[in-house]
Amino acid sequence: MSVVAFERKQNTGEWSERELTTILAALSVATAPGTGREWETGVTEMGDVQFYLLSPLPDQACELCVSRVGGRYVLEDGMGRLLFEHRSLDLVALHAKAAVPSTSWLMVRAITLWCAVRSALHEKAEPWLVEGEELFVQFVPQLAAFA
Amino acid sequence: MPDAKQLRKLAGDWLKQRRADAELSQADLAARLGLKYYTFISQVENGFSRVPTEIMGAWAKELGIEQAAFAKHLLMYYEPELHRLLFGAERK
Repeated sequence: MSVVAFERKQNTGEWSERELTTILAALSVATAPGTGREWETGVTEMGDVQFYLLSPLPDQACELCVSRVGGRYVLEDGMGRLLFEHRSLDLVALHAKAAVPSTSWLMVRAITLWCAVRSALHEKAEPWLVEGEELFVQFVPQLAAFA
Repeated sequence: MPDAKQLRKLAGDWLKQRRADAELSQADLAARLGLKYYTFISQVENGFSRVPTEIMGAWAKELGIEQAAFAKHLLMYYEPELHRLLFGAERK
């Protein structure tokens, strides 16, 4: 008599502690005290679990959502864009970490903008500086002669 | 006045009811909207996200609701002050 070994049904039902730990560890910086971010869990009508990373008050809208659907983990943003999907939660959590809008990203944008403004100002001011320098070079010997 | 999160939840409940009226599952609606997974429908109906403007028309169509009326109703939850300025105070 042969016995068919049914695969144990995995990855269904509520989030396991290990799964939540994996997600929260990846998002530890994003959810650190002071960021104002919170997280919640929910379920779809078919019972698939979802993890929501929420933006700070007052909006508290979903920034990232990790869902477990049929043994796959699905990462979406708050606009429903599919960012990544895989059977490995570790990989999905890594992508979630990279997808969080971060302060460092804002800093990079701010610095880039500052450099662009500074460069534009320098380009405008350069002819004036050169002109001033030429005048200086012309008049200094004459002024020295008077002295 | 309810906060943004509570209002989104009210919008989600309304959307869920309209979808039930249209006899569609979350998966049906997602498929009709061209979404690979139905999880975003749940995200919206659970009140964590808004219906994106770019698919609002298609969402309305699949629920059998006139697009302008659908958008106007959602604006009441998503941007209540803007809705009030545009349309005045209305019953939900």
